[in-house]
Amino acid sequence: MPLLREAERCLANQHANKLNSFITPLPRVGQWLDRVKEADKRKEQGSAKSSIDGRLISIKDNICTRDLPTTCASGILDKFTSPFNATVVEQLEKAGGVIAGKTNLDEFGMGSHSVHSRFGPVKNPRRDHSGEELSAGGSSGGSAVAVAADQCYASLGTDTGGSVRLPAAYTGTVGFKPSYGLISRWGVVAYANSLDTVGILGKNISSVRDIFSILNQHDSRDPTNISPFSRSRILSHLQETPLSSRLASKPLRIGVPLEYNLSELSPSVRRAWLLSLASLQQQGHTIHPVSLPTTKHALSAYYVLAPAEASSNLAKYDGVRYGTRGDGPDGTGQTDGYLYANTRGTGFGPEVQRRILLGTFSLSADAMDNYFIQAQRVRRLVQRDFDNVFAASNPLSDSKNSVCSDSSSVDVIVCPTAPSSPPRLSGLLNGSAKYSPLDAYVGDVFTVPASLAGLPAISVPVTVDTDSNADVDGLAGIQVVGQYGDDELVMNVGELLAGRRLA
Amino acid sequence: MLSRPRGAGRLFDRVNRLVVTRPSNLQSLQNWHFSQFSAVSTRSVPATDSSDRVPLRKQLKQEAKALKTQKRQRKENEEASRQIWELTVGVEIHAQLDTTAKLFSRAATSTSHHPNSNVALFDLAFPGSQPEFQPATLLPALRAAISLNCDIKPVSRFDRKHYFYQDQPSGYQITQYYEPFARNGYVDLYDYDGIAREDGERVRVGIKQVQLEQDTAKSQEYPPSTQLLDFNRVSHPLIEVITMPQIHTPATAAACVRKLQAILQACGAVTTGMELGGLRADVNVSIRRRGDPAGEHHYDGITGLGQRTEIKNLSSFKAVEDAIIAEKNRQIAILESGGVVEGETRGWTIGSTETRRLRGKEGAVDYRYMPDPDIPPLVIGEDLIASLRDTLSTSPDQLVIQLTGPEYGLPIEDAKPLIELDDGARLEYYQDVVDSLALLHPEEKDDTAGTARARMAGNWVLHELGGLLTKADRAWDPEIVPARSLADLLDHLQRKLITGPTAKQVLAAVFEGDRRPIPQLLEEDNLLLRPLSREEYLALAQAAMAENPQMVEQIRNKNQLGKLGWFVGQMMRTGEKGRVEAPKAEQILRELILG
Repeated sequence: MPLLREAERCLANQHANKLNSFITPLPRVGQWLDRVKEADKRKEQGSAKSSIDGRLISIKDNICTRDLPTTCASGILDKFTSPFNATVVEQLEKAGGVIAGKTNLDEFGMGSHSVHSRFGPVKNPRRDHSGEELSAGGSSGGSAVAVAADQCYASLGTDTGGSVRLPAAYTGTVGFKPSYGLISRWGVVAYANSLDTVGILGKNISSVRDIFSILNQHDSRDPTNISPFSRSRILSHLQETPLSSRLASKPLRIGVPLEYNLSELSPSVRRAWLLSLASLQQQGHTIHPVSLPTTKHALSAYYVLAPAEASSNLAKYDGVRYGTRGDGPDGTGQTDGYLYANTRGTGFGPEVQRRILLGTFSLSADAMDNYFIQAQRVRRLVQRDFDNVFAASNPLSDSKNSVCSDSSSVDVIVCPTAPSSPPRLSGLLNGSAKYSPLDAYVGDVFTVPASLAGLPAISVPVTVDTDSNADVDGLAGIQVVGQYGDDELVMNVGELLAGRRLA
Repeated sequence: MLSRPRGAGRLFDRVNRLVVTRPSNLQSLQNWHFSQFSAVSTRSVPATDSSDRVPLRKQLKQEAKALKTQKRQRKENEEASRQIWELTVGVEIHAQLDTTAKLFSRAATSTSHHPNSNVALFDLAFPGSQPEFQPATLLPALRAAISLNCDIKPVSRFDRKHYFYQDQPSGYQITQYYEPFARNGYVDLYDYDGIAREDGERVRVGIKQVQLEQDTAKSQEYPPSTQLLDFNRVSHPLIEVITMPQIHTPATAAACVRKLQAILQACGAVTTGMELGGLRADVNVSIRRRGDPAGEHHYDGITGLGQRTEIKNLSSFKAVEDAIIAEKNRQIAILESGGVVEGETRGWTIGSTETRRLRGKEGAVDYRYMPDPDIPPLVIGEDLIASLRDTLSTSPDQLVIQLTGPEYGLPIEDAKPLIELDDGARLEYYQDVVDSLALLHPEEKDDTAGTARARMAGNWVLHELGGLLTKADRAWDPEIVPARSLADLLDHLQRKLITGPTAKQVLAAVFEGDRRPIPQLLEEDNLLLRPLSREEYLALAQAAMAENPQMVEQIRNKNQLGKLGWFVGQMMRTGEKGRVEAPKAEQILRELILG
């Protein structure tokens, strides 16, 4: 299909569907049309810039674009346009990619269902058996829906504690969170810097892989970006045997974390997990139980650390230099009051305010030791848990042994992305007692550990037959987690499962 | 920690504009006298208004006397209270580093550029922007830490200190709270640094730590409701130097701040001192009754202290001393009346007599220090430290030793101001003059002649040239009297080719802009000494003796040699101007009168 026709079909879908996946959709006419036509010519001449030349790629609205607003779905930035492009945007455009609008999200990335948006909730194109609207997952719900509803070729999201993987699982798309520090964060609006990772959402693994290869470059403007020296060190480490032979000439050792078999796991998800493992076994790989004992503390640690960093990162939004000021006189009216109490009070939504307050508390002098410091310790333990079960050593840790000799060690971990299928939007929006903020946090229980450890993780869709249980449509997200730097392996293992119908 | 939430920053800026712009101790001393004097005369205004008018001279005399009595009384009171109460002071200094790079952005530092012209995205805390540490800023910071005898940490880290204020774009300041880059240094204060007499010849004050941090934006207030913000200053690199609470007199605290400034300037860590706002100080003050059981407070590992208070944003040495005296006396008054000193933050306004409360414990800001998750640890190599150590310029203390040593032979009273005046520019000029003088005597073997010239040059650079500057109220500029010109002039004087009064006259002419080379000027204006012949001296002497034969007799018979001077003066007056040399005249007189 010519690129232009593909783009026009995406555009039509953007404007036809009422899924609220875009905050700023692509205009019907604009420069982008010429750029797609030029790419079509290049394609004909066999001189395409890259595999994404002329393809529409949507961008989560917390990634800065010079030509389109960047609102972070927040009232405080609802009219904000960044003066610069994020590095990832520059990289995509240089490879011929066409920015396909800005996608909806939970405000500043804080949420698991993309309902905490100044621009209204995102709707999942999937419906449950009674036709009820479902959560698209969050916080990159707009990006996932844009991919699922053919409104773009692929999409960039951000993943702080599962924000790319969870919506991928809920919408039946592929969502990849690379190792922390591989993709530049310059121009990505910070929620929790030490966890924020740009992620890629696509219909299939190969589109995700293509985009990752374009973005996986060093950028000196991001101080947390892995240096060229470390990149080549990690690469040459992976190219040595025995690591290079994994999957290529040797079957994989696949880990199943026992602690992840929660009683809260919904039956359909558990079934999808078991069938996925069975499928991998049928493909010749071996399954091994592993233990990640700190997992049960990981979620709590995450919800201390991420809000702590958020409370710091969001202190800059005061409406003084940019952004939207509150109506009427600002401040509290007292002579000693702060200049922008009102602006921050009206500009931020309730979930963002909740996390700012949480973080402010956990960093305060009296609480610091019991919360922030403890959570950092847990984070170390989570990382150690993973290092203990992976055969490959962590290239960023101090221990020097390149390959773990332990016979029980594994190459990747396979587990569900989310403990249940997407909840109904109506339940989330009506603030019913059924879904408290804590319930939303629990949805991140399987994604947060890889975020805390900075590991590559991918969520791929599998379908299980639903003759016995007509819960939804039998779609579930299965997550593959690998050692730091094992991004290729994680994508390759994801490919073994992605899109499979299992029975 | 640079903390000025709510208005403190504005106060600081306002104060800066009021202080003298010439960085000179002599100047500030003069200002101090002036302000004391005016305080007294204001008080005596009613007396001049009354019907019986006191003559002005008498009035001035009385006021001077009253001032003296007052000062003596105050000194006695201070000494009496010192016997009972022990004061403990620690100092924190914030200094703007001398570097063209900002700490975390690629924008240049600037103090005089158009407002908001040197601002990067990160300086404005734009969403998505990230810090980019500029290694160049480390050099002046390391020079400072080395000069303050600190241990330099191979790994240090940056933390965020949170508070809301409009001069703080990101809502936090990046500083080094948990792991500063330098620790455990010291500064030695000598008697010539102006420490209190009771502190003896030397005091060593420990430096707890030195840390790197960002400056904030500059705000300018336009009452009632407008604030202008200049973000050029955001992320200008600062160092904070924190001393141990080891100072026990107000004068020594002021000397400590002055000495720290001198050291930071001498090693090239900072450009401007307190007078230009490049440096500011906070002090913490506590007291305890001597002989009492140890107090229950401890700071920086020093135990047994009383409750301390902090006085923020002191912008002159004088303010440091005055604020400490006032705060100490306030605390003594509280304790003597049975009260309790509260741990609180206080402020000081120049010219006031009391510190004022800014905020108490309950209003204390919780800065929520958090390691900055974007900034990697700062790793400093031993090789960098070693090479900086090797290239560091001479410390002020070493300069004092050199200048007062055999080579220059300057008195300490001249050496100190030479080092301190004009950010070291006066010393540089002095060195140029001395070097030029030496070049005029390349063959010389005699060291003592060189020392004599160096001492003479010190006198002229400091007092003669300094006097002209003060009289004309001009700022220092080495080009007003080029070093070469002064050297030529002093050379003529030393070789007795001109007289002292002539030399002063010529210096004034050059100061006013006469740009002729000195030899040409002396030649054209006929100023070179044309020595009188013996006959001419004899004639002058005889004429003078004839005018007062009685005095001649008194000298001859009663050996009243002191009266020779009258005759010398007489010869100078009657002889041709600028040609009679006093020593020769006296020699002739002695011959004639005493035989």
